[in-house]
Amino acid sequence: MATYDNKIWLLKNIREAFIATDDTGLCEIVMAGEDFSKLFQNKALEDKKRIRESKLNQPSTSKVKEEMGDTSDEEEKEIITQFDPYPDMEDSEDEYGSSYLRYEEFGGRQRSNTAQWLDKKEQALKKAAKIKVVKWDDSSPQLSTEQIAEIFTRSEVKKPEKKKSLLAEQMEKCPDLPHRQYLEYAKFDGTAQMGLPTKSFKIFMTMLPEKHQNYPLVVCVIASAKIKDLIGFTCYKYSIEHPEITLGSVHSYGLCIAEDDGEVDWAFPCLDINEPCSKFGFTCLGLVDLKNKNVFAHAPLSIPEEGMLEVFPKALESGQSHQNPSRQHTGGSATSEAVRKAINAVNQERKVAESELDKIQSHLNATDAPQYKTYRVHLLRKVRTNTLVQLGISLERIEVEPLVAHKHQFWSRSKYFRLNIDSVAWCQILEARANKTTFRIVYSPTNSNYYGDPNNSGGASFFHPNTVYKIYDFECEHDMAREIVDKINTILDLRNSPCRREYKTSKEKKIQARRSFQTRHLS
Amino acid sequence: MSGEGSSSGGGSQVALVTGGYDHTIKLWQAHSGVCLRTMQHPDSQVNALEITPSGQMVAACGFQHIRMYDLQSANPDPVMNFEGVTKNVSRVGFHQDGKWMYTGGEDCTARIWDPRSGRQLQCQRIFQVPAPVNAVILHPDQTQIMVGDQSGIIHMWDLRTDKNDQLIPEAEASIQDIAIDPLGKLMAAVNNKGNCYVWTLDGQPPRPVPRRHLAAHDKYGLRCKFSLDSNMLVTTSGDCSAKVWRTSDWTLMRELRHDTQRWVWDAAFSIDSRYLFTGSSDGYARLWDVEKGTLEREYCGHQKSITALAFKDQAV
Repeated sequence: MATYDNKIWLLKNIREAFIATDDTGLCEIVMAGEDFSKLFQNKALEDKKRIRESKLNQPSTSKVKEEMGDTSDEEEKEIITQFDPYPDMEDSEDEYGSSYLRYEEFGGRQRSNTAQWLDKKEQALKKAAKIKVVKWDDSSPQLSTEQIAEIFTRSEVKKPEKKKSLLAEQMEKCPDLPHRQYLEYAKFDGTAQMGLPTKSFKIFMTMLPEKHQNYPLVVCVIASAKIKDLIGFTCYKYSIEHPEITLGSVHSYGLCIAEDDGEVDWAFPCLDINEPCSKFGFTCLGLVDLKNKNVFAHAPLSIPEEGMLEVFPKALESGQSHQNPSRQHTGGSATSEAVRKAINAVNQERKVAESELDKIQSHLNATDAPQYKTYRVHLLRKVRTNTLVQLGISLERIEVEPLVAHKHQFWSRSKYFRLNIDSVAWCQILEARANKTTFRIVYSPTNSNYYGDPNNSGGASFFHPNTVYKIYDFECEHDMAREIVDKINTILDLRNSPCRREYKTSKEKKIQARRSFQTRHLS
Repeated sequence: MSGEGSSSGGGSQVALVTGGYDHTIKLWQAHSGVCLRTMQHPDSQVNALEITPSGQMVAACGFQHIRMYDLQSANPDPVMNFEGVTKNVSRVGFHQDGKWMYTGGEDCTARIWDPRSGRQLQCQRIFQVPAPVNAVILHPDQTQIMVGDQSGIIHMWDLRTDKNDQLIPEAEASIQDIAIDPLGKLMAAVNNKGNCYVWTLDGQPPRPVPRRHLAAHDKYGLRCKFSLDSNMLVTTSGDCSAKVWRTSDWTLMRELRHDTQRWVWDAAFSIDSRYLFTGSSDGYARLWDVEKGTLEREYCGHQKSITALAFKDQAV
């Protein structure tokens, strides 16, 4: 543990740990240009110099000054400063910077060179065994005249008859080639290469209508392909496999980090299209429409407080959502027209919500739970700082809208998101501290596809035994927290969605299991 | 190769094969432009490709090797490997029934190979010339091989008598390619000055009579080929174009160019002589409608130049 008392060593290690474990590469970008090793080496040199000078200036040692002349180098090594490196931080990163590159994400320990060589050799032999070799034989006997006459017979040259070409027929049958516009990207196909390093990705086509994005597209490209090439090749491959679906220009798409289940992490910017794809460590990516992405990427600075049910328009059936006009500057008449339209649309939606509200009014007690209401709360995060958000709760959904936009700190840029109320399973107060209360919303991301299809929400009673639940934690003042939790729970009880029922059941089962364990244990 | 020459039915497909500097050979679906398979051609560029008469295999020649690949299986490796040549093999071709294979190479030889092993009679022959061989072509009567060398001589090697005659169309210009039309009546050769020479072939054995000199290209000529109906001759060149000539009056019918197209290394006609494939240094193969002069398809996938292509059409 001795080394841990060195602040600099710790700093360097923490820094390295961040970089090494961050698949997004953002840590590296943020910390780029701060080469601590070099910095410390320089500082150590300076310190040594200072120490040596102060030593030399001491009168008591002035006599040995001359004697020291030769050995000053060794002496210097013995002067230890706080900036001196530990053995493993001697070199500047510049020299082994490449060690941060992660070549392949799979596979365990590297096999030894000999084992690899033997493997290669064995495979080459196996391959060679399958190839028939015909060697030119210089000693082969001259053919006799008879033999020559037998083998090299003259054949009559016939006029080739006019034939109809199968190619021409196929060409006529196949006039339309949707993949042709992406053809230039075909050369990045990793499956068609020999000896070139390749990389495979699972690409979720998030910009397509939902019915087309059940499965990710597995693409393999050569490792030197850039992200833009990967986008192009993905379009190429998809349009070959699905010629009936028309994709847009490659420039209108971006690639975002996605989870295994295809959920795109909107908080991160799209991968830089000019970076080689080998630089990135993850294998699941979402192909997104940049129009769509921009809506989320630029967090608004101000939120219209009143009269707005929703800050964002409902996503279209196609999965594309257009930039909300109400957030644009209302300078031109065209824009205000757009704003009017947006407000009308929103009011329309409110009317719908209200009519639904009327139906269930009888079931309500005095609370106004189903009415849309917004709260200012803090969204708690595991890694990043807590962000001030506006929490909007209605009968249909819960919206979370970041209120502070960090213009220059893209890594802390928060995302807008919303949860369909039928995907929310639980809400409870976690803990109350001196002036704040923390509460939690439990939801199931797999159930979120109920969204936008109200017919589906009540009747269907799927049971997913392995449903994964995710959580969001918020923090605000006591009273507000209680109000929010009450409101959400009232709505949840009202809707009684399959998701909630399922969650309750599994919770009860757990409690029962615990009880039976306890009783067994006690007895 | 056991079923060679017979109607084995294995090759009843349209096949476009390309090869080049990236050490791969690609099989394409010609009408869609989709690459079906990639085969490995280790350690060497591909100098020429030729599909066997049965359509079962494709032969690729490169440095010191001629390799045969099975077009019908998914095997990315060759199934046969002909070796024992010390230098580049520049051309490969087959007897019309697949009885034997002929090659020419930079070791100043043309050779006859017998791909069918295990027979009593091994036919193997060699023809030595004074300069590296750039072009070899078999006359449709299957008894004459024209060998074009770097010193500018065309040697006519009579396989039955082993006699040979020489032709020198232009001094100090290397012969780059030779073509003979399917009727065996016309012979054409391109040289490194971009000139194309045409002869008529008459008599038994055929004697060449000079017919025409075409200043076909400003730069290096690379290939020449006749269409199956003998009505067209294509010449390709380092001037980034392929030119199609009418054999009736030797006028230029089409000049096939594309913005990104660079050296055009090889070309092949469809059997109805309507379409023409070209392969270029920009890594693309292209399909042209010769009648209309339009670019119909592009084949993208090679990392480097395409230097050879072969096409086998199917009659319907």
